[in-house]
Amino acid sequence: MSAAPTVIGTPLDVVDVKGNSMTLSMGPQHPSTHGVLQVVVEVSGEIVEKAEMEIGYLHTGIEKSAENLFWTQAATVIERMDYLNPLGNALCYVMAVEKLLGVADHIPERARAIRVLLAELSRIASHCVWLGTGGIDLGAISTFFYTFDVREDILDLLEQSGGARMHPNYIRIGGLNGDLPAGFLHRLDALIAKFPQRMRELRALLQNNPILRDRMIDVGIVSGADAVAWGLTGPSLRASGIAYDVRKAFPYCGYERYEFDVPTRDDGDAYARFLVRLDEMDEAMRIVSQVRKELDAPGPIMIADPKIAPPPKETIALSMEALIHHFKLVSESFRVPPGDVYQAIESPRGELGYYVVSNGDNRPYRVRTRPPSMYNLQALKLLAPGNLIADLVVMIGSLDPVFGEVDR
Amino acid sequence: MPSSQVPSIAGTALDPTAVRPPIDDAEIVRVAPAKLHAKLEALRAGGFSLLLDIGAVDYLGRDPRFDVVYHLLALATSPSTVASVGVPRRVRVLCGVGGTEPALITATDLWPNADWAEREIYDLYGIVFTGHPQLKRIQMPHDWEGHPLRKDYPLRGPAREATPRPAFALKSNVPAGTPPAGNVAAALQKRIALARGQRTPDGAGEKS
Amino acid sequence: MPGEFMLAKIDDVARWAQSSSVWPLTMGLACCAIEMMSVTNSTYDIARFGSEVFRASPRQADLMIVSGRVAQKMGPIIKRLYDQMADPKWVISMGACASSGGVFDNYAIVQGVDTIVPVDVYVPGCPPTPDGLLYAVNLIQQQIRQGGRGGILAKA
Repeated sequence: MSAAPTVIGTPLDVVDVKGNSMTLSMGPQHPSTHGVLQVVVEVSGEIVEKAEMEIGYLHTGIEKSAENLFWTQAATVIERMDYLNPLGNALCYVMAVEKLLGVADHIPERARAIRVLLAELSRIASHCVWLGTGGIDLGAISTFFYTFDVREDILDLLEQSGGARMHPNYIRIGGLNGDLPAGFLHRLDALIAKFPQRMRELRALLQNNPILRDRMIDVGIVSGADAVAWGLTGPSLRASGIAYDVRKAFPYCGYERYEFDVPTRDDGDAYARFLVRLDEMDEAMRIVSQVRKELDAPGPIMIADPKIAPPPKETIALSMEALIHHFKLVSESFRVPPGDVYQAIESPRGELGYYVVSNGDNRPYRVRTRPPSMYNLQALKLLAPGNLIADLVVMIGSLDPVFGEVDR
Repeated sequence: MPSSQVPSIAGTALDPTAVRPPIDDAEIVRVAPAKLHAKLEALRAGGFSLLLDIGAVDYLGRDPRFDVVYHLLALATSPSTVASVGVPRRVRVLCGVGGTEPALITATDLWPNADWAEREIYDLYGIVFTGHPQLKRIQMPHDWEGHPLRKDYPLRGPAREATPRPAFALKSNVPAGTPPAGNVAAALQKRIALARGQRTPDGAGEKS
Repeated sequence: MPGEFMLAKIDDVARWAQSSSVWPLTMGLACCAIEMMSVTNSTYDIARFGSEVFRASPRQADLMIVSGRVAQKMGPIIKRLYDQMADPKWVISMGACASSGGVFDNYAIVQGVDTIVPVDVYVPGCPPTPDGLLYAVNLIQQQIRQGGRGGILAKA
């Protein structure tokens, strides 16, 4: 049937025909695999008998790169793991380093509040991509345009504050890179005002749509016990009834002072995961509205420790001390006392954790990521057999993997 | 106390995991490889039902050389509310493993999601997990040689390790210094020159 | 009968048709893929330039936008997809990682997709904004209309 198979993950060329079943390679280039995933499926007609996943098509060696960069530089490569939530990656890593430095309690209030604001806006933006691409998988192409319009508003805010739509490197060790520019809060208010109407439109389009319900209800059911056994976290776990949210269980960055609910469902199917994420978008905006009230008062956005925080640019030409500190920080960076720490946040995909080890040097000794997408995706092995290929597509979408994080 | 005067333990035999900074992130347990599986089983029976992650660290120069780190979470397995989930407990199990062929017993019989995590550690560190259903590479191509995340593996890979990092070089398929040619290039050059207020070859625009 | 005939070279007409309907391949690898998706949304709207749809099958695509970092495992796949595309085909190397390896000068990333496939336009950025990608597609369209290929600085 074909030339000798090219062995990369598993043979790509081979279409194996054994009795009634056929082995096909779905991916790594595929419109519905949400990135570079290869699922080698053994199908009998349209029914999947076995699904073997091959990952690693985006392995970037980020953890090794981080070991060869300064503590501040490592944040830039770490941001590129979960590329739908770069500020979240940076936040988690930066908090871990701040704990090792012993300055976690000294981060200024305003910086802390802006971090929460951006983390929640990122959550909404990430869920917008999930919903848009999930809709395309099902054939509901209009959803994409609605959700990406909301996302554009959020990316405008991220660009205004951090300088870039994605990967702004705005959350730094000790605080933030700079204060919010003039006009930001005005734009944020406009978004807060227009968001409820947008969500109503999305819900009206989708939530009770009979085709969507048909495609998602009772597809990819994960029981609570299975979800825990397979290490699911985030909306995938909460849709199976287990209300574990890192923001409530191990509050960080001041989340304990905001009022928000943790949406949970009991059905454990793709529809439940869909509803949980929609509710999470509303809850995230609820947090954003509360944080907004704290941002009118001015304040510092970087810790006042000259050994960690670079001096303000305008002082470098005037003060010898500022010049020397700047030079030392840029050429050699600061050293972090030895020790190891595990810091976790609630990313849109689940518990994102960093296990950071320092041996006292000016570079991380090890940054191990706890990638929620990798563990969420693994559950597909449990879910796929016995379902249609079309259901497989829905299941991948409902688990919401990001391959920058799965492969790193 | 962050400071450029912090003594580095780089190059010393001091183990970063032995230094316990005042951080309350998890209960820490260190076990020997022989007792690892029993300890994990006991922890799971004691309520630590969710395996968050298995990671490895290469402490080159220390004996045992590697640490394999298990992050566990004590979580209910039946539907719960935020109130009943409460504050889950975290535990971090560190297991030092070394030798010329480092190996540990697999945890896939306790938690199915240990599968990929152990494959990744095998791929990137070369630690074998005995009893694993299919221990093969997961991130690197299957015919890759070496274990990239080990400290003695060069960052840029053995193939490129000796080549210097390129200085800034024009990426084009003509030799550097060749003037650009063709309609598109010329139009672009003209537009750039006009934007800069410079005189263009055909006389349009003026020098600022 | 003035006004009822239009004369043109077939080449020009063909190139005009080709440049007005460049259909990219869905080759989203990493972060740049998200910006590539943003270029299809209503704010940037690549459809008005003729790229109405992105085709999943390389047989039906004209343009391969390599959007994202190319890992060692993915390299042969990209070459294979490029070979499967029917002529004439063009390649945009989107972003720093595809153009040169970007921030990842390490064992895992191919240092520039032009070591695997010939590239017509490079787009700098990490990731480039969707405007940058739109400009790149415009440059490809110009290249098609000029009849040229092989890079904007290439010898004609």
